[in-house]
Amino acid sequence: MMADEATRRVFPTEPASHLRPRSRSVKSLVSTPESSFWRTFRSSTLHPSYLHLPITSLSFSPNSSLLAAASSTSVRVFSSLSLSEYDPDFDPTLFATLPLPDLAYSPSFRCDGALIAAGCENGAVRVFDLPNDKPPKTLRRLNAHSCASRVVGFPLLDHKLRLFSAGDDALFVQWDLPTETPLFSVPGAHRDYIRAGSPSPVSPDVFVTGSYDHTVKIWDARVDSGASSVLSINHGHPVESVLFLPSGGLVATAGGNTIKIWDVIAGGKPVYSVETHNKTVTALTLAKVRDDTRLLSVSIDGYLKSFDFSRFKITHSMRYPAPLLSVAFSPTGTIRVVGTNNGAMYMGIKKKKDEFEDQVGSDDFAWSVPLPEKPTSRKNIRYFKRGQSEKPSEGDFIIKRPEKVKLKEHDRLLRKFLHKDALVSVLKTQQTTSIMAVLEELVARRKLIKCISNLDNDELKLLLSFISKKATQPWCARFLMDLAKWVLEIRAEDIRSGGPEMAVHVRNLRSMVAHEIQVQRSLQEIQGMISPLLVIAGK
Amino acid sequence: MIVGGQSLVTSPPVFSHDGKKLLVCTGCTVSVFSTTTGMLITELEGHTERVTSIVVVPVAGTVGTKFSDYCWTASLDGMIFYWDFSTPDLLKKVNVQLPVHSFVIPNILSASLGRSDKASQNLYAFISVEDANKGVENGKHLHGSIQIYDLTNSTRAGGVLAETHKPETLAISKSGEFVGIKKQKQLNIWRVPNKNLKSVNMKKLKLHHTRTLSCLAFHPTKCIVAAGDVSGRILIWRGFGKMRHSQDGGGKMKIDMGDRPGVRGEDDADSCSTWHWHSSEIKFLMFSSDEAYLFSGAKEGVIVVWQLDTGNKTYKPNIGSPLMYFTDSPDPSLSCVSCEDNQIHLLRMPSMDIIKSISGIKPPLILSELQGDRSRVTIGCDRSIGFVALPTKDYRIQFFSLLDGTDISHLQVIERNYDPVDETTVFISLVEVSDDGSMMSTVEEKLPEMGIGGLISLKFWIRGSHTGQYTLSTIIYEPHNNAGVSDMAFCPGRSMAVSTSYCGNFKVWVNNSSFIHSGDDIQEKGGWRCQSVSSYKEIPMTAAAFSGDGSVLAVAAETKITLWDPLNNVLVAIIGDSLGPIRQLAFVGSSEYIMSFSSGTKADLVVWNISNLSTHWSYKLLVEDICCTRSETRVAVLALLSSSDKSISTGKDGMVLVFDVENPIPVSTWFVKKAKGGRLSFINNKLGEATDGKLLLAYINGEHNYVLFDPSNVKEQEDLIPKSARRPQSYAHDENVSHGYASIYGELPSFDLTKARSSDSIPFVSSERPWETIFSGSSHALPPLSKLCSPFLESLLEKAEKQTVLSQ
Repeated sequence: MMADEATRRVFPTEPASHLRPRSRSVKSLVSTPESSFWRTFRSSTLHPSYLHLPITSLSFSPNSSLLAAASSTSVRVFSSLSLSEYDPDFDPTLFATLPLPDLAYSPSFRCDGALIAAGCENGAVRVFDLPNDKPPKTLRRLNAHSCASRVVGFPLLDHKLRLFSAGDDALFVQWDLPTETPLFSVPGAHRDYIRAGSPSPVSPDVFVTGSYDHTVKIWDARVDSGASSVLSINHGHPVESVLFLPSGGLVATAGGNTIKIWDVIAGGKPVYSVETHNKTVTALTLAKVRDDTRLLSVSIDGYLKSFDFSRFKITHSMRYPAPLLSVAFSPTGTIRVVGTNNGAMYMGIKKKKDEFEDQVGSDDFAWSVPLPEKPTSRKNIRYFKRGQSEKPSEGDFIIKRPEKVKLKEHDRLLRKFLHKDALVSVLKTQQTTSIMAVLEELVARRKLIKCISNLDNDELKLLLSFISKKATQPWCARFLMDLAKWVLEIRAEDIRSGGPEMAVHVRNLRSMVAHEIQVQRSLQEIQGMISPLLVIAGK
Repeated sequence: MIVGGQSLVTSPPVFSHDGKKLLVCTGCTVSVFSTTTGMLITELEGHTERVTSIVVVPVAGTVGTKFSDYCWTASLDGMIFYWDFSTPDLLKKVNVQLPVHSFVIPNILSASLGRSDKASQNLYAFISVEDANKGVENGKHLHGSIQIYDLTNSTRAGGVLAETHKPETLAISKSGEFVGIKKQKQLNIWRVPNKNLKSVNMKKLKLHHTRTLSCLAFHPTKCIVAAGDVSGRILIWRGFGKMRHSQDGGGKMKIDMGDRPGVRGEDDADSCSTWHWHSSEIKFLMFSSDEAYLFSGAKEGVIVVWQLDTGNKTYKPNIGSPLMYFTDSPDPSLSCVSCEDNQIHLLRMPSMDIIKSISGIKPPLILSELQGDRSRVTIGCDRSIGFVALPTKDYRIQFFSLLDGTDISHLQVIERNYDPVDETTVFISLVEVSDDGSMMSTVEEKLPEMGIGGLISLKFWIRGSHTGQYTLSTIIYEPHNNAGVSDMAFCPGRSMAVSTSYCGNFKVWVNNSSFIHSGDDIQEKGGWRCQSVSSYKEIPMTAAAFSGDGSVLAVAAETKITLWDPLNNVLVAIIGDSLGPIRQLAFVGSSEYIMSFSSGTKADLVVWNISNLSTHWSYKLLVEDICCTRSETRVAVLALLSSSDKSISTGKDGMVLVFDVENPIPVSTWFVKKAKGGRLSFINNKLGEATDGKLLLAYINGEHNYVLFDPSNVKEQEDLIPKSARRPQSYAHDENVSHGYASIYGELPSFDLTKARSSDSIPFVSSERPWETIFSGSSHALPPLSKLCSPFLESLLEKAEKQTVLSQ
């Protein structure tokens, strides 16, 4: 039998959920571990050049010390070490500027970070060295492309003398760096511009290229089979970016507004297709999130999305104020950079360790003797606060203090049966759902009419202004229309003698009614047009 | 036959002298509850009418009576019984011949029945009886009268002390010195003399007030009387009766009009003060046992504690129902308060925390200002487990087990604070439980104020792990725009429901999770969605029912029945007119018949044949409820008798008819009382070993008293609410909290109370050889030692006698 009768709950008037318009973005409010990870990045903006030219490509050196950004006719190299240190003024030092004869494309670091290569609008591919103290020096000029060399890349594996490039002339070349000669050259590799390419993470001789002819092709330099590739996949859209996933068996391709994952080993079988961007996906990169790897994609629609390709699920998305062209994520997992088409780079630098890593860290260093805690004396404020922030451990049985119901002002007044005061206090908050909830509660208590007749002139103005603003909102219209009628009927005298301010409210109300009638009329017209169609469709 | 659902709060409960037991008047019986567990221990059966008052015999202070549990009970059948409620045994019957509404025994301490010392005086009781034959006297209907009755000799002692319009409740001071009643705007108080109690010796004292009084209470020791009136004022007269009661028979003393603040006219009191906090009629007043405080209560559901000397007050809020009575126990740390919602709360005293609640079935929801048919508040019924879901006033649903007669759980349906003072503007208008009890739907209505506001919402609930535990699945606001929901029905074997509305359409609701297989996009979101909307000529839809296999949906469009395919939303057939708008539909088992009834001026009961779309048979009867079995062709009908019928005079205004659907001649008929607002339901018989699929018929009357019976066994023309109401109480397993004995030794095997009763049905004192039957009862109801001792010794004596006879 019910012994809990004594602890009757107190219900505030608030949950008038039928009044609230149904929100569709409930999910974004939910905090996932992933979103808490991305929240630990401190974001900042950087304009590498003061010309508002698009940043077409971004690249981190493998040891994360340098960041290269291709924009206009130069490749700017930033020292990312100085970026990663928290600096309140945030003035990232420009490490070097690599001069190129024309628009620069696709900077790529060698696996040891000592060399950097970049393509160019006129087709030239240049290789620079990056000494720490001296300005950079052009080491090699590789001339084979007749049009813009959009794709330049060092192999990911420890193969320091090779380089591949591809370009708008549909030529795909693998270079031997010391001799500046092509080792493996496929003229007419695609039937359109090659705009994307990626080396395999497992073999120095395997590459993937993507082109505007909708195809993605896999090349093996060890097999000289002329112009035919090892594997050709049709993406369905002009390919903007391709990427080998870390296993080397899967390839991610981006083109149009879709990202597709293909199984290369199974002969190009489509594994999954993501269509979350609204506009063309421009770049892909891999990111280390805690212990997992995510595929980051950026798009013209200004969204950066993080895709978990082990679970095939979008785990996070971020919005930027400009169309995004390029993205890079530092191999250490601490810096995230996106490039836009207006010359701005948006960086996120991990400012603090997130809790998850803290836990891992504490496990790793479990053997180290913890520092003896400072004994707190009674003079210290900590003595009195000790134990207050103690977290319960896993096996603890938690006895919660009964939660105190926090009542708002109007709820407190309603509990004291001060109905008019409650109405006035809630009208002052200007929160529509609260006001509607209080109005409905007053109806349930049969006190609304009495309240209205007791309002003084200033309070009546508050009510009228609320009604004139909200009366046509569909979710409270039925209530407020009736209410407006009653208010005008009961308080006609006061409104008439209420002065100019009252007249303004009434005028607003009238214009709102006129507008609503017009809306209703046009809706009826539409209904009249649609209903014959529906009747025909039904037959 | 199982009978239950009696009100626990018709009369104030009484504690036993040690505070371990609570005696509650429940209809014709007195139920004895344990105050530590809140469970029913035993019942005192014998009265044939409602028991109105109980007087427990206090401990006389001698060692021998230490274990005795004796009480007097009075009933409307004109009998006063003397009980030993530990066994329980009926010891003495006294016939007063007039319905007793209240009685007190002033000298109960000094005199006790059956003591050997006959020198002690007779036991007198003040009884308040109803004398309907009194008739009109001086143009006034004086039905009630106060008399003195000699309980020892079963004779009336003297004449009538007072006559009242209606029988009044007697109040007595703790010492037994004063007895009083309220009589319109005045209090009548008698001082009880220690000896020679005769009505001629009684001195009446009157205290006047300007408003009608509602209750009174005496101070335990001092000459203070408190009275409450209908406007919520409390009046305290101090030092009453000093003049008149002190002098014996002398002339009138001079009354000093000077220093008697607040006392009206020539009233005999020192002073009168008025306290006012309550806004409505005071229901109870009670002085605390330490004499420093006065408790008062009224409709607000707040116990107000007044400090007697200063008039300062503290409150005990949150009881959540209008209060009825407040009783204190001999144990100063325990008292109890009875609420209008059929609950008795046991309070731990200084702090007034609720330690236990004894709750009965909730009283029906009364909606006064609503118009006729629309205000029908239905109660849901789970056939498989045998519980009913009753909407309560405080926006909850009570689940009540009919078989066990216990309250299972409560469910908060509307999240709103309940204030007992408010008129009902928000209420649960419809509760529908699916046949297997796994789903429930509720409809709640907010009434508009002058056309503003007003909201109808439909809620779907899904059963949790226990019975009676439901969780909210979906809320649908305004399911039929602005119009009310007239009926709901669940489709058997499928998560589908239909709601019909007065605006002329009905909607079929489905639980989305059942559609996972049919669509290629899997919806993880559960919840009920509208599958289809249909209407028939825009006629208001008044009732709905699914056939037993769920393939046919019948919806009543006022006088016509439309048959639909619920899956494809196709109108299959229309069955022609009944006389009035149909109120309810029911498919008869798996047969081809459907049953309907309509109310109003052209009330009728019709059985339709679906196969040839025609009337099979019909009656012109005003029907309140119908109920069909799922498998058989039996139907039960609850019909109201029209006022011209003869049976009205006996208080029976309805009858339950059981038909076989093929045959318009009823199989059996019973006459019942208070049929208005009643309900019928077939319930699977779970009790005992009779699980052979026999169905019990449950009849719940308008006051939520109920009776469960097997329609094939109970004789016709028998009263359905019998006079000697008895609940088989499964004492050992009606509560899963094990305590005391049970926690140490495990649960006692459930015993059959009927067996025990039949064996010791012979009154204990009248038996010649009591030692033979004394141990045949159950172990927990052993007679007290004091009672055991003398028979035991007698039995030894008898043995010795026999031996002596032999030796001679």
